[in-house]
Amino acid sequence: MAADVHKKKSWEVSNGLLAPADGQHVAERSESPTPGLAQGTEPGAGQEGAMFVHTRSYEDLTSSEDGGAASQSPEEGQGDQDDQIKMEQISKDFSELSTQLTGVVLDFEEEMRQSKDDKLDLSPQTSRHDSVLSGKEEEDVTMDAWRMHQKHVFVLSEAGKPVYSRYGSEEALSSTMGVMMALVSFLEAEKNAIRSIHADGYKVVFVRRSPLVLVAVARTRQSEQDIAHELLYIYYQILSLLTWTQLNHIFQQKQNYDLRRLLAGSERITDNLLDLMARDPSFLMGAARCLPMAAGVRDAVSTSLQQARAKSLVFSILLSRNQLVSLVRKKDQFLHPIDLHLLFNLISSSSSFREGEAWTPICLPKFNSCGFFHAHISYLEQDTDLCLLLVSTDREDFFTVSDCKRRFQERLKKRGVYHALREALLTPFYSVSQVGISDLRHFIYKSKSSGLFTSPEIEAPYVSEEEKERLLGLYQYLHSRAHNSSRPLKNIYFTGQNENLLAWVTSAFELYVCFSPLTTKAAAVGAVNKLMKWIRREEDHLFILMPQTY
Amino acid sequence: MSSSSSRSRRLGVGNGVLPPARDRSPSLNKDFDLAFKVMLLGDSGVGKTCFLIQFKDGVFLSGTFIATVGIDFRNKVVTVDGVKVKMQIWDTAGQERFRSVTHAYYRDAQALLLLYDITNRMSFDSIRAWLSEIKEYAQEDVVIMLLGNKADVSSERVIRTEDGESLAREYRVPFMETSAKTGMNVELAFRAIAKELKQRAVEQLEEPKFQIHDYIESQKKKPSCCAFL
Repeated sequence: MAADVHKKKSWEVSNGLLAPADGQHVAERSESPTPGLAQGTEPGAGQEGAMFVHTRSYEDLTSSEDGGAASQSPEEGQGDQDDQIKMEQISKDFSELSTQLTGVVLDFEEEMRQSKDDKLDLSPQTSRHDSVLSGKEEEDVTMDAWRMHQKHVFVLSEAGKPVYSRYGSEEALSSTMGVMMALVSFLEAEKNAIRSIHADGYKVVFVRRSPLVLVAVARTRQSEQDIAHELLYIYYQILSLLTWTQLNHIFQQKQNYDLRRLLAGSERITDNLLDLMARDPSFLMGAARCLPMAAGVRDAVSTSLQQARAKSLVFSILLSRNQLVSLVRKKDQFLHPIDLHLLFNLISSSSSFREGEAWTPICLPKFNSCGFFHAHISYLEQDTDLCLLLVSTDREDFFTVSDCKRRFQERLKKRGVYHALREALLTPFYSVSQVGISDLRHFIYKSKSSGLFTSPEIEAPYVSEEEKERLLGLYQYLHSRAHNSSRPLKNIYFTGQNENLLAWVTSAFELYVCFSPLTTKAAAVGAVNKLMKWIRREEDHLFILMPQTY
Repeated sequence: MSSSSSRSRRLGVGNGVLPPARDRSPSLNKDFDLAFKVMLLGDSGVGKTCFLIQFKDGVFLSGTFIATVGIDFRNKVVTVDGVKVKMQIWDTAGQERFRSVTHAYYRDAQALLLLYDITNRMSFDSIRAWLSEIKEYAQEDVVIMLLGNKADVSSERVIRTEDGESLAREYRVPFMETSAKTGMNVELAFRAIAKELKQRAVEQLEEPKFQIHDYIESQKKKPSCCAFL
């Protein structure tokens, strides 16, 4: 059906040189020398099985529990007559995203107002929503600055009690949160559920996970689905601190419990998660990025890690600044990318792990939301970014696990790879120029079967933080279009003012590419083939092909 | 680990009164004669981590509050009367949700430093609850010391020194006010514990009995003179 849409419409992809949307055509493409389009043989696919829970697609990450809650926005699913509008909308969205950021705020709001009217998706809650916002405005003199934030995130209990606010104190926002809860309850009384409100350039997205309600108020161009996905991450973050069992138990005992008491000190972790999601494509990709290093060194590190095992250990993970160096897991136990991201976030959110050895209970909600693991967290040396994470099932096993770290370090030294490992840390990113394609600016490639992705350093012209975030915003948009639950796309090619973009999603991999605006579509297709060959050639450097178990 | 071993080499000579204690890391055996586990306890935000960093590195962690996650294990070797004592220090998170994991390590500890914040009444009021937890989970002969931290912030003081003293008397534990910021009495607190534990370990050698109470009383600084260290 998605393919039909393509062929009928005049939008770029349909008549381009890129393969049409259905997988069969992709596989038949004679001009494509791309190796391994079948899942499990694509570049980056592990040779000895994967490390992660097998997630075929991005939808797998959310849909099972999502109940499709986040999937349908009012503008979608209105039937075929909307297709034309949708395609135009995509085109328009891209233009907006591609516009220079300078002075964009006012234009942007104007544009949004316009597009709101165009889409006629004024939900009946608009007036309520407006009153919510004006209510906030009266609360505080600093509210103007407060309102300017791109994305607010609120967590509240079903009793309407504030649990978390990204900006501003929860107390000051308790009446606002009360209104949010009222909105949720109002629709639930009618056996209905509120998913989102679109108005005035804002998207207000609700995610209901009893006993919590999560709300985002965003001015970003992310899709409702993507925002809901981020809210779920926040929910999982809370579970990772408390477990689902404890969370439910607490609210069964006392409905108006102030959860902030139990979450005290974790605000920084949640803040960091939200910041990280705006910067790091790992979350968007639902995958992990590896620190590039010679395969031989990585294998030696993995073997050392595998040998430094203990009975209670489930996962041994070596990482450097949110990049995976090695992951060894207990046989038959798989880590979920979301759980790994939560662990990465925990480590990057606190400088207190730099010294000493930390030992902390942590729930990996996608693995088992009912119980705690115990994580031993320590840096190998104070002056490096190499952090070792040993996940154990036994709360009392600190000294055994601590000894695993010592044994791991001894083995590293014995194998003589310590130096090589430190060398690899010096070049955590590679330059896109190494690929040797002149108009190629940046790309993200994800191998679905391994759950790993690779991406070069973001270089000029994406130098400033705003530009970097804009590039990620473009990828987010490509991604949300490609994974739109009601109308997924397999190929997208867009010619913009500032860059040309290409997305290619198959059952085996996902590829998002950014070209200079001067490239042609034909050249881009040629470049993608060349890029895929390059990734294949470099795969043992960029991915973990031989994951180990104990 | 590596930092503590290099630090210990700097710290004095150590004449090795006792045979090296058994330890899991044999490479470190030459660096100390005795090893003890010490735990820092108290409500969130009373300054446990800052207290430890001041002792370990002689610096004050200023800036924003960073909550400790779970428990944090660090080593420091001090020399007490020529004996190298390795203090294995558990820095704990004060938050409620970490109680279960800290409980599990109480019984390993030979000494507990229990901190409250003299500018925070709640943290002082919690001390009784902490002491009863200690009674429930810790070893019977554990060395306890009560510390009123943040003594440098006299303008915001809400707990008088006498209140701390009388509570300490009631539970028969040594007490002093400290400042992780200025370093006042920080070294002394650990040193006193090291002395007491060393004393206990060498008691069979029939040295004169060390009295932790007397030692502290003779050594401790009052909040007024902040120029310790």
